[in-house]
Amino acid sequence: MARNAHPHAMAPSKPGRTRTAPPQLPDRFPFGGRYLAYTLFDLTGILYLLLGFLVLCTVWSLGSGEAVWNGALERHRNILYIGFHAIALVGLIFVGIRFFGFFPKAQPPRVGPVKPPPKGVILVGLYALWIGVTVCLSIVLAGGVF
Amino acid sequence: MKHPLLKLEPLIWLLFGQGILLGTVLLTPWVLVVGLAIPLGIVPADALSYERATLLASHIVGRLVLLGLIVLPLWKGAHHMRHTFIDFGGAERDAWVAPLLYLLATVGSVLAVVAVIRI
Repeated sequence: MARNAHPHAMAPSKPGRTRTAPPQLPDRFPFGGRYLAYTLFDLTGILYLLLGFLVLCTVWSLGSGEAVWNGALERHRNILYIGFHAIALVGLIFVGIRFFGFFPKAQPPRVGPVKPPPKGVILVGLYALWIGVTVCLSIVLAGGVF
Repeated sequence: MKHPLLKLEPLIWLLFGQGILLGTVLLTPWVLVVGLAIPLGIVPADALSYERATLLASHIVGRLVLLGLIVLPLWKGAHHMRHTFIDFGGAERDAWVAPLLYLLATVGSVLAVVAVIRI
């Protein structure tokens, strides 16, 4: 009775050389076609890093006494600060829309025994969270409540 | 041996992901009110007078929100800048750029904890 052949019986004695092309950037990178949104999304990292440190300085000044806090608020009136915050707001909206757009698509078909909700429900939930927190926190910061 | 950054990759990705999600959600009202509405005079400046700001920020919820407002965007920023650097041909220098950016985010995070405690 014939035996089954070993699965690697016909394999070459040593692995062959794999020819691979050297990595190269796509023609349209970084600002052509669909790469524009990709690159801009990447570049928002600078914006977030600056915002993080700016909020840190502002919060630090709150712990340093009334005069320092008032000075920090006064600095925010500078045209450069206002311009930066205007750009930052555009960047935040861009990141939100882009990230919330692909977040539902990135969900696995199952998380353990549970199936994630439909994509539309996730998307609506994310926007509801964003708008809800923005409205509530803005009202608190603007002195509407508390 | 695994590179230390590879071991930390799950934690970095967690902070990066939350930096995009919660960072964006929390930063939007901050930028709208503190960055634009108050400086432009749309909202009166005494909305964030020293007494009121201290009252809001010294509450446990206020401290946590402020911590999230600082720490999460720092990690999102550091990780995204690292990948921007790689995309623009800096892969060979990633060995020192990545630790530098993450060190910046770590220092910022530690200072954020101190800043929130000292209010």
